[in-house]
Amino acid sequence: MKVKINTSTEGTTRTMRKQGSLFGKTVRLSGLLLAAAALASCATGRIDPTDPVGENAKQIDGIMRLSGYMASAVGIFVAAAVIIVIVKFRARPDDDPNELPKQIHGNKKAELTWTLIPVVMLVFLAIVTIPAVFDLSGKSDGRTIKVEGQQWWWQFSYDVDEDGTDDIVTANEIVIPVGEEINLEIHSNDVIHSFWIPQLNGKKDAVPGRIHHWRISSPEPGIFYGECVEFCGLSHANMQMRAVVLNSNDYEAWVQQQLQPSTIPTSAAAKRGYELFGRHCVSCHVIDGVYESAADGNANLLSGVAPNLTHLMTRTSFAGSLFELYNDDGSANIAELREWVRDAPDRKPSRPDNRQGMISFVETLNNSELDDLVTYLLTLGGKPPLMPS
Amino acid sequence: MAMTEERPEILELETGETTPSTGAFARPTHATGWRAWIFTVDHKKIGIMYGAVAMFWFLWGGIEAMLIRMQLFTPNGTVLTANQYNQIFTMHAVTMVFLVVMPLAAAFANYIVPLQIGARDVAFPRLNALGLWIFIFAGIFLNLSWFLGGGPDGGWFAYAPNTSVAYSPGNGMDFYSLGLQIAGIASLIGSINLIVTVVNMRAPGMTMLRMPVFTWMILVVQFLLLLSLPVITVALVLLSFDRTFDANFFNVAMGADPLLWQHLFWIFGHPEVYILILPSFGIVSETLPVFSRKPLFGYSVIVISGAAIGFMGWGVWAHHMFVSGLGPVGVAAFSATTMFIAVPTGVKILNWIATMWGGNLRFTVAMMFSVSLVSMFTIGGLSGVMHAIAPADTQQTDTYFIVAHFHYVLFGGALMGLFAGMYYWWPKAFGYQLNEGLGKWHFWIVLLGFNMAFGPMHILGLQGMARRHSQYGPEDGFDFWNAVATIGSFFILIGMIVFAVNIVRSWLGYKAGKVPQAPADPWDGRTLEWAIASPTPEHNFDYVPIVTDVDDFWHKKYQPDETGKLRKVADGNDIAQIGDQHPHLPSPSYWPIVLAAGLPFIALGLIYNLWLSGIGLVFLLGGMFGWSLEPATDPDAGHGDHGDDHAPDPDTPDGDESEAAEVVEEAPVG
Repeated sequence: MKVKINTSTEGTTRTMRKQGSLFGKTVRLSGLLLAAAALASCATGRIDPTDPVGENAKQIDGIMRLSGYMASAVGIFVAAAVIIVIVKFRARPDDDPNELPKQIHGNKKAELTWTLIPVVMLVFLAIVTIPAVFDLSGKSDGRTIKVEGQQWWWQFSYDVDEDGTDDIVTANEIVIPVGEEINLEIHSNDVIHSFWIPQLNGKKDAVPGRIHHWRISSPEPGIFYGECVEFCGLSHANMQMRAVVLNSNDYEAWVQQQLQPSTIPTSAAAKRGYELFGRHCVSCHVIDGVYESAADGNANLLSGVAPNLTHLMTRTSFAGSLFELYNDDGSANIAELREWVRDAPDRKPSRPDNRQGMISFVETLNNSELDDLVTYLLTLGGKPPLMPS
Repeated sequence: MAMTEERPEILELETGETTPSTGAFARPTHATGWRAWIFTVDHKKIGIMYGAVAMFWFLWGGIEAMLIRMQLFTPNGTVLTANQYNQIFTMHAVTMVFLVVMPLAAAFANYIVPLQIGARDVAFPRLNALGLWIFIFAGIFLNLSWFLGGGPDGGWFAYAPNTSVAYSPGNGMDFYSLGLQIAGIASLIGSINLIVTVVNMRAPGMTMLRMPVFTWMILVVQFLLLLSLPVITVALVLLSFDRTFDANFFNVAMGADPLLWQHLFWIFGHPEVYILILPSFGIVSETLPVFSRKPLFGYSVIVISGAAIGFMGWGVWAHHMFVSGLGPVGVAAFSATTMFIAVPTGVKILNWIATMWGGNLRFTVAMMFSVSLVSMFTIGGLSGVMHAIAPADTQQTDTYFIVAHFHYVLFGGALMGLFAGMYYWWPKAFGYQLNEGLGKWHFWIVLLGFNMAFGPMHILGLQGMARRHSQYGPEDGFDFWNAVATIGSFFILIGMIVFAVNIVRSWLGYKAGKVPQAPADPWDGRTLEWAIASPTPEHNFDYVPIVTDVDDFWHKKYQPDETGKLRKVADGNDIAQIGDQHPHLPSPSYWPIVLAAGLPFIALGLIYNLWLSGIGLVFLLGGMFGWSLEPATDPDAGHGDHGDDHAPDPDTPDGDESEAAEVVEEAPVG
């Protein structure tokens, strides 16, 4: 829609250019400016609360619009009153300085009126709001996914067989089936974070020592973007996430794939990388089936947990969803991954000396070791079930 | 003034004994120069110093704001590192809230309230000086952090446990918790002083419902301070104990619930919002009637709604915590209370418009800033109602929609009102008016820049731009409006430079005799501060006025003729007191600044080495000791009643000068 407005204006511009008149130039210029403004003002990015998709987000959007229209109406009324006052009652040079305007000390009826009208409007808003608050809280019948925030990435855990232990632990991307209202149990392993995927629902804080329930759902498959929105320290800006919504078949396939433990690679380079991983990475990272020593937490991090890298390559992004794992052409983003492994604190603000974030391997790994390690990482998992468009 | 006379060598005690006054206990006697300011207990000098220091911090807080805007001018900004950005946005808020808006309100409260109630000073003049100096040292202490390893990096709201030593290992948060603690002492002292002053020292006949609205709003604010500061004090003590002595108040591993901090902080923090805005509501309630030449529409309703905001302000704090995990009952309750606090606020807005309606509006700069408060604050208030709807708030909170909201409230509301107050009362404080032409440039540039800077933030917030993110990506679609906002912030900067130029030029012009001496009553004012000469004489009132009405001074100028029509019967400048009396005044003192100087040392000691706290304690206890031995008023200093070099003027307009003066003289005891 926004794009259409832009194209039509450009079309007008082109016809005007042929005429070449001053009028044409003016129209062209203002047309361009308008187009730029329209495009820029409506330009929405990956995070987009204005385009709700999930049921909860749509409900919130409705209430928000209602309140926005009411607020605008009151705002316009007040603005009109102020403008009338300024224009109509301003002193003129020919006013008699000894002539006083009528001295009115108040009017009980008027004051009562403009106390009661807002009261009525607010009672109306309260009647709309309070049931919605209760509607949006509480659990659904859908499956439960554990959400854990920590500096500066998100972890999602699935208890597929409902035996009380997590079977799938993944990072940065929460994968959910389409049409199902998912229960989230939101928790933090260090400071307070806030879970927000605006197209699916409003936000909910992740607080250490507490579990907060929240629900998300989407009627259509796709990738929806989110981020941490409660200030959580140094790299608060770099704690993003994605919701990957899959058709139920794709979702089942994804679950089965994730449940497979990892195996030792066969190619020489990947095997060298596998051994390097065992030497340098396993005190923090877990790869199910091969490296599980850090599964019960590790002392190298304040949060006690680093991203589980099993089936890494089935994700679309890494490092708090800060970087794409795949290039636009579908090939793996080896360059960025290699840079990250080499010197993570340089790529994303962190404080490894205070056990906050991944350490740098600049001093530890040489170039060929880095290549081997990345080669190994590329063997983890297959392809993502859905790529960002 | 008797301050200039030479000190006698011998101090005469009441017992009749004489004892030589030892050096340490001699009182300062400087009537001019910097020492007259440092050791003063005069509420006017203290008010001006509050204002000057606040304007210095306004410059610094503005530079912090500009750095933020520079960083966000383009996607992936590199002006600041993430670490620097976190410190800058934390200190921008701390500076603007605690070192700019609160002290600017304190400046007006100190200067104007005693004048509006017909008093010669506040109830406890030395305590007043103590509050000022503690505030000044608090500001210096907070900003010392920049030179000692970096500023606080946990946000002004300092949510636990991100502020614990584990997650914020530098000393920044120690400077935050101890600095705010010190600033809190200053505000607490000031609030007690002003409450006692307003309750006890009003001129004869000035009942509570004849009090000017500005004084009323300041009184409400002082009660809010008195009751809310202890809450933040407790919170900061807990934080300091956690950080300094390894306590576990916010240690989740030891069973703490981090929401405790949020409750404590916002139980203080929300009344704090009204602490910031109500003084400006008071200011425009003075200026709008004066420049509309009409009485305030519904005086009692405005006063009562102000007090109602003060009460209701205690029942809305958890609206800052709608997504913190309160549970639906709590969220619904606070959602409803928050909506209904809009009612008294809305009543005020409409009453102000009704005040102007049918008036004869003179658009001085003070009036322009006042009208802009009415309109800009309304925008902030309406977006506030939108956040009160808790489900909507789950999409809005922690986005730029909130940043837009509270800047419309605090800049469009509080600061616009404070600027109105500056242009309005400048002639009373300094004896000359600020240039109205430059003032209009100041106003229009700031109004334009303000709306350019903060208006687009509504859009950015609805687009989902999160607060406190040091960068946004090019794919986020936030570039255009961020660029507009940054350009707007430069307009604000230019506007403020125009204001600074205006101050300097008007002052130089006044010194050179090109800017005329302001008359006592330049605006055809309504309240008692206009019934005395400009600038205010050191003793304020030659005689204490007798008050018979709201806007008593105006009623002395306008009275009904035989047909009942109001006629001007006197010019304010002709009937104003001329300031030729020399009554006895509280004496200056060394001790407030000495006592106050102890606090930053005690705080530094808690961070670095307890020996420093020892030095601070010496100052503190020494100051208390000297203070307690010092009479409130110097028995040596000249006294009007002694009548030696300044006998009462026989032409005093009111016959009961000595009696009226007595009333005031007895009150200042602190």
